[in-house]
Amino acid sequence: MNWLSRFVSGAHPELPAAAAEKIARWQEGERPDPALPHFETRYVVINTEATGLNLDKDRLLAVAAIAIEGRSLKPTNALYRTLEDDPAEALADLLEFAGHSPWVVFNASFNRKLLERVFEARCDFEPEATWMDLQWLLPALFPEHHTGQMRLADWMESFEVETFQRHHALGDAYAIAQLLMAVLGRAHASGAITARSLVEIERSRRWNQRAV
Amino acid sequence: MNTQAAEMLQGASLDFLRRHSPFDRMEAEALGFVAERLVLTFHARDSVILSPEMGQVRHLHIVQRGKVLARQAGSVSVTEYSAMTLGPGECFPIGALSAHRPSTNTYIAVEDSFVFQLAAEDFMQLMEMSPVFHLFCTKYIASLLNQSREQLQSQFAQRAAEQQTMTTPLGQLVNREPVYVTPEVSSRKALEHMAQHRVGCLVIADAEQRPKGIVTQSDLLERVILAGFDLERPVTDLMTGSPHMLSASASAYDAALEMATHGVRHLLVLDGDRRLKGVVSERDLFSLQRIGLRQIRAGIENADDLEAMQQASRDIRQLALNLIAQGIGSEQLTQFISALNDALTRRLIELQLEKHELQELDFCWLAFGSEGRHEQTLSTDQDNGIIYAVPEGADRETLKQQILTFARAVNEDLAACGFPLCKGNIMGSNPELCLTLEQWQRRFVAWINEPDPQALLNATIFFDFRALYGNELWSDQLRTFLLSRAKDNSAFLRMMAGNALSAQPPLGRIRDFVTDDDPVHPGTIDLKKVGARLFVDVARILSLRTGVTASSTVERLRQAGRKLGIAADETSAVIEGFNFIQLLRLRSQHLDTEHDAPGDNRVNPDRLNELDRRILKEAFRQARKLQTRLKLDYQL
Repeated sequence: MNWLSRFVSGAHPELPAAAAEKIARWQEGERPDPALPHFETRYVVINTEATGLNLDKDRLLAVAAIAIEGRSLKPTNALYRTLEDDPAEALADLLEFAGHSPWVVFNASFNRKLLERVFEARCDFEPEATWMDLQWLLPALFPEHHTGQMRLADWMESFEVETFQRHHALGDAYAIAQLLMAVLGRAHASGAITARSLVEIERSRRWNQRAV
Repeated sequence: MNTQAAEMLQGASLDFLRRHSPFDRMEAEALGFVAERLVLTFHARDSVILSPEMGQVRHLHIVQRGKVLARQAGSVSVTEYSAMTLGPGECFPIGALSAHRPSTNTYIAVEDSFVFQLAAEDFMQLMEMSPVFHLFCTKYIASLLNQSREQLQSQFAQRAAEQQTMTTPLGQLVNREPVYVTPEVSSRKALEHMAQHRVGCLVIADAEQRPKGIVTQSDLLERVILAGFDLERPVTDLMTGSPHMLSASASAYDAALEMATHGVRHLLVLDGDRRLKGVVSERDLFSLQRIGLRQIRAGIENADDLEAMQQASRDIRQLALNLIAQGIGSEQLTQFISALNDALTRRLIELQLEKHELQELDFCWLAFGSEGRHEQTLSTDQDNGIIYAVPEGADRETLKQQILTFARAVNEDLAACGFPLCKGNIMGSNPELCLTLEQWQRRFVAWINEPDPQALLNATIFFDFRALYGNELWSDQLRTFLLSRAKDNSAFLRMMAGNALSAQPPLGRIRDFVTDDDPVHPGTIDLKKVGARLFVDVARILSLRTGVTASSTVERLRQAGRKLGIAADETSAVIEGFNFIQLLRLRSQHLDTEHDAPGDNRVNPDRLNELDRRILKEAFRQARKLQTRLKLDYQL
């Protein structure tokens, strides 16, 4: 693999032109102001569906994304793509949909890493995004429910959040999106009114946990 | 974005909707329409979701999860029934949305809550496309009517309970200063004192108002007259010592028990310092229990003088108050009042017929206007007239004079019983309204054929007639005649419709209500002129058009509606609106008469609680709907 291809979009030999173009456009895209209030910030919940939870062995099957704009969820403002036919195309679509909004996942240590690896492998490119992990943010903002790092099922139970299908990329994304709305609501009420402040909450949370 | 994701997420909304009423019954197409358009939002605990300050409501909200508290905005006075909690599947604010106005409630998330939103335009479209949803919203508004009625009832129940029940504290029953003398007073002075104050029971108390004994009228025969008592002796020699006493906080029931146990008719009531506060008599207690429907009827039927009739009339008012407290709706209530007033009027007529030796008279006493419609409220003046027949060989003029004299006496008796003389002289004692059937018919025909403004006004009063006493054959014949003449005379009906549309419901474009600029009653709405009348006028026209013989507005609407194929629930909504306005009128009259002000049908919308305001607005909207129908029917 040519080291140059990491920096020059469309250089990947196997990358279809359409996907390459989407990636290029994403790279040139404008970054939103992280100091805007939640209400004016578009957040995108991103979720994956893999054959298992082993980063080294398992394969990514599908990606899903749901945008939260104006602190609300519109069913039409969502994306679901399987990677069977054309993985690069699906990933490029994800990039296009997610844009440079903060990318919100549940359990970054798996989802983020998996996505970064797949992007690397299929598109020869690692997207630089603002990531947020609800697995950290939820206990920071809702200590009355849980203080540690819990599973998605636990948080869904705490908020009585339901979804149409568990362990499905979009099904779980729908649950995560609802949890994100709760996070934004609580953050707003407690004075953390911007995307940047959420990033800081997560960072200090991670830092403190490490210190303990 | 792709459709696959949208379909899956809409499917999730569909699953939710299908578990909740009214969506579980909703037509598939309408349900899909909703699911496609729902937007999910989150509201943190204690945050305000919607409030009146937010202006015109832009979304229908459906609680997805959590708990939302709806609280009436505004004054403290409405707090007793003002809050309710909404859970998953419940929608708000339906009333405000359908009316395109700000919410009257404040909605607060009491838990972290997820709430679906449907844009107001979509809500309106849904109402149009889904009969199920339309019915749901109509019923919801009807349930507001019920809530308001319950609220009204509890308000009256409290007052009625205070006045009525045997649990009333004696302190409240005592309503005059006690009549007492000090012990050193002579018996003569004491008896003079009794006579002067017209009391049956005199208390003897010391300078500190502590009772020592009593003298009652019933003691006098035995102790004074038969015993030849020397009236110069001090009253202490005449009185009964150690009188029966109860504290002011004891109940009427305690007093009744005490009287029954000791066989006494009077009890002294003491205040907290054991000083004399007053006297209660057996009669005071008895009057507490006297007022029931049956008792009043019996009272009326057995009454043989005006005084007894006046008492009956006061009892009718009291009963009306109690009936509201017991939760009776305005339709039944006005019917009760009407029935009792009828009985009263009949008895008065009977008494006067005897006095004037007119028992053989072949006539019919008619009631017009609201009395004719069975819709009398408590401050209705009298509207009546007479149809009489001239027997063969009798002199018509002489007979008429006799009848007029009799009618005048009845009118005056009615006035004495609380039905003021009619300012417009619509009374049987008016020679113009004491006519033979033929004369009445001619008059009706003249109004129908030449509907000038006066004729139209007359029609609104006299066409609501019914027989109250005497030979009903005459009124039946007059009715048949009227219907046959009016039914096909569309020019006349059209004029009537134009007249009916001259008054409009006081709904404002900017403010909720348009109030009167009358300087005497600023900021009020005349519930008769721009409220009840709107319904009454349309009902009259419909009844004439469809040949309905009923004279009450509700019955006319029901029967004519059926004949015209108007949907039953639509008619019910109209009737509910009319009944609510009538109930408000009755209430304002009650409250007013108790404060000795004349009931004047006026209500100040700003002083109504939020719920009543909303329902009143809905009632006016129903009136507008009714008027719109009339406009279309007669191309006005």
